[in-house]
Amino acid sequence: MTTLGAQARDFVAAALVALVVASAAFVSARNREVVDGQLALAERSAHSLAAGTQPLESSRGGLVGPAIASPSHSFLTHREIREPGRAWHRLDDKLIYDAATRFARDHADHPGSRFAGHDRYVLADGTGRAVAVVRAPNDELAIAITEPAKPAPYPLLVMIGVLGLALALAAAGALAGKRPLGSFAGIAALAVPPLLWSSWLAAGFIIALAAAVALGQRRGLTDRLARGLYAHRTALGFVTPAGLAMLVLVVAPFVIGLLLGFYDHHQGTWTFVGLDNFVEILSGGGRALDDPLNFWFILGVTVLWTICNIVLHVTIGVMLALVLSRTWLRGKGVFRMLLILPWAIPNYITALIWKGMFQGEYGAVNSLLHALHLNGVSWFSSWATAFSANVITNTWLGFPFMMVVALGALETIPKELYEAASVDGASAWQRFRHITLPHLRPALGPAIALGAIWTFNMFNVIYLVSGGKPGDSTNILVTDAYRWAFERGDRYGMAAAYATIIFAILLLWTVFGTRIIRTKGDAA
Amino acid sequence: MRCVLAFLIALAACRDAHGIVLWHAYNGAERDALEATVTAWNAEHADEPITLVAVPYDAFADKLSSAIPRGNGPDLFIYPQDRIGDWADAGVIEPIEFWVDDARADRFTPASLDAMAYKGSLWGLPMAVKALALYYNPQLVPEPPRTTDDVLALAQREQPHGVFALAYPNVDLYEHAPWLHGFGGSIFDKTGAFAIATPEAAKAMAFARSLVTAGATPEDAQASLIASLFNEGRAATVISGPWFMGEIANVPWKVTTLPIVSATGEPARPFASAEGVMMSSRAHDKDAAFAAMEYLTNDASATTRAKRARQVVPNVHAWDDPALAHDDVLTAFRTQLDHVVAMPNDPRMRSVWTPYRTALGEVVSGRAEPGPMLDKIQHEIEGFQRAP
Repeated sequence: MTTLGAQARDFVAAALVALVVASAAFVSARNREVVDGQLALAERSAHSLAAGTQPLESSRGGLVGPAIASPSHSFLTHREIREPGRAWHRLDDKLIYDAATRFARDHADHPGSRFAGHDRYVLADGTGRAVAVVRAPNDELAIAITEPAKPAPYPLLVMIGVLGLALALAAAGALAGKRPLGSFAGIAALAVPPLLWSSWLAAGFIIALAAAVALGQRRGLTDRLARGLYAHRTALGFVTPAGLAMLVLVVAPFVIGLLLGFYDHHQGTWTFVGLDNFVEILSGGGRALDDPLNFWFILGVTVLWTICNIVLHVTIGVMLALVLSRTWLRGKGVFRMLLILPWAIPNYITALIWKGMFQGEYGAVNSLLHALHLNGVSWFSSWATAFSANVITNTWLGFPFMMVVALGALETIPKELYEAASVDGASAWQRFRHITLPHLRPALGPAIALGAIWTFNMFNVIYLVSGGKPGDSTNILVTDAYRWAFERGDRYGMAAAYATIIFAILLLWTVFGTRIIRTKGDAA
Repeated sequence: MRCVLAFLIALAACRDAHGIVLWHAYNGAERDALEATVTAWNAEHADEPITLVAVPYDAFADKLSSAIPRGNGPDLFIYPQDRIGDWADAGVIEPIEFWVDDARADRFTPASLDAMAYKGSLWGLPMAVKALALYYNPQLVPEPPRTTDDVLALAQREQPHGVFALAYPNVDLYEHAPWLHGFGGSIFDKTGAFAIATPEAAKAMAFARSLVTAGATPEDAQASLIASLFNEGRAATVISGPWFMGEIANVPWKVTTLPIVSATGEPARPFASAEGVMMSSRAHDKDAAFAAMEYLTNDASATTRAKRARQVVPNVHAWDDPALAHDDVLTAFRTQLDHVVAMPNDPRMRSVWTPYRTALGEVVSGRAEPGPMLDKIQHEIEGFQRAP
């Protein structure tokens, strides 16, 4: 490829990014300007009305009297309006009426105070009309509404001109044998329009991009990158759709979730609160350590829940796998299918069935206990029984996975090992301890790591079976996060902070926990 | 390819700027009745047809809250009143009192219109009023219990036969509310502050517990269990709303008003929640949208809904229709409306349900005392309101 061609390639790629950034900067700067202009116009116009003069050009409005309520319903009100040069008459413009009502609602604390409070906002209907309300004498409100905004068009000619200049600079650099300098000058030239719009952030980004491209060219990085992309173009073509999907479905929600943890959501408004959510959670929010809403209590329950489940899943799974791998067993296929069934049914259906079976008076579990002349258990009235009910349900759901993994691993153990051990006089236990178990470990390790993560976040079972009963004490972290989001007044920030903490715990577990499992396996 | 094409056409239909898009979560007869009304509107207003979109109830509120502020979503939607506070504060719904004069307002019972008001504005027009009433099995109790003492007497008589005197989901605040209000308790006081931990509320909780100890009420009964108890003739009476009718099978049943709380002499007063049609703050043509709201809630449409779907409609004159005036079930639900408490529209109400449910569960099972439990949840709920 010629120098000029390579230069054009690098320039086009960088210029595309720069153009997107510059256009975004233009739109945001223009919108800000339009909004500021409209709001200022509306406010000046309202002040002019309050002073008893005409509204300013390209706006309308008037002096609005207090709300007159209907005799039967206090919330059915109408108002009168006096436009300059006209007499009082009934207000028949809903925008002005709503502005007055909104003002009265938000400034109800300062009735009669002449200067307290003014209100200005842009209508949310996309027209860019601004409304301003200021207090006028005699308890009247001066309200002005501007005409729809006329935003400046995109400066296409300017951009084409700048682009042409930039291209010329880049090409000149390449011809003069100074590619990096040409690239830097060319791309940095695209920062000029954002500078004119006072978009410092965008301008800074474009200059940094120009510097990065220039440096990359000096070290030959751009050429290598282009060659790499070209060489692997087929593979990359296949990866792109999945990569885009991951970006939209995984990366974006993840990043947004992380950011939300630093905000507080309260009745429709978001406020940046820094680390406050995390502090409130990790400090227990002033609750005692045995309070079921204290983070550390819930964490304790969650860890206990995970350990109990994994122990039971692995024990039962391995035992069943050992039985199913016996050569003398008949109808193995049928048993195997039956044992995998709990796994194949959607887990919330299983959870709801178990919840019904644990019902105190008519549930199947207690009916069975009665049939055996045992006392029924009020499953959800004490912590231990409610927790057990959850564990039993999740064990039913979880052992098939461990069984399938163990079955697979058992198939790979060479029969000769057992024959040799038998010849040497090893007992059944010794054969299991020294042959089967070490061979199961490499397969079970990752399964346990994965199973622990699933169980740690097993929302369905906890939420549907015990639902936190008794008294919220069997909640785990993820169900408590859900309650913050949806049952405690939409505290999405708290829920997001919870999710971040859960993620951090599971990240530590995957990094260190799996290492422990692996070293144990290697040692054996 | 055909799928893609169908999808694009559907998308184009959604984007159609003409006409009014109405979201609802109705099924069965209620949906048929709504469709009939909309068909009539569309015949008269070919230039502004209403397009009905059925949205599952579970996802309804969240879809609206996220779609409307972004300029998507419907022009109108039908939803119970309890989110009005949230949506009004967040600018999701449009205040409509500008269009409503006294003549239009007098179409509805005052309580049902009040339910659509919040912070001095009106945010919707009521379409149906839902409140709990008492279902009973006349084979088991020819005369329904009139007081709570009657309920306890009935329990003494029926318990030996394995029949519950009164089945209701006693750990849910919604079903517990008749006792709460009957004993003089509430959730908010007159100034709008939480008034959960009060002696009256404690008495109501203790009463709910006494129903269980007396064997009148099953402990921790879920809705599905209650339906099967009633259908098997093992529950003499059930506290539930109009939706329970669809679950009754093969037993004779009647509906009447809830009993009087003997301890106070006051009627048990359930929450009344009105379901209404509301307007998105981003509706395309707000005047046309209001005209459609008005049409959907006029007396003729209300009569259609009451007749076809047995909705308890809030229109005063719809009940002049002889067919409706003589419907015993609708009359019972309508009479109950004389003794109800409007469901609070306060957004803070949404953080009350779960803790209250937890507290009720602890008290009716005898694990906790009402007083301390109510103190605890009031403190807890107040804590949820505080910004970190």
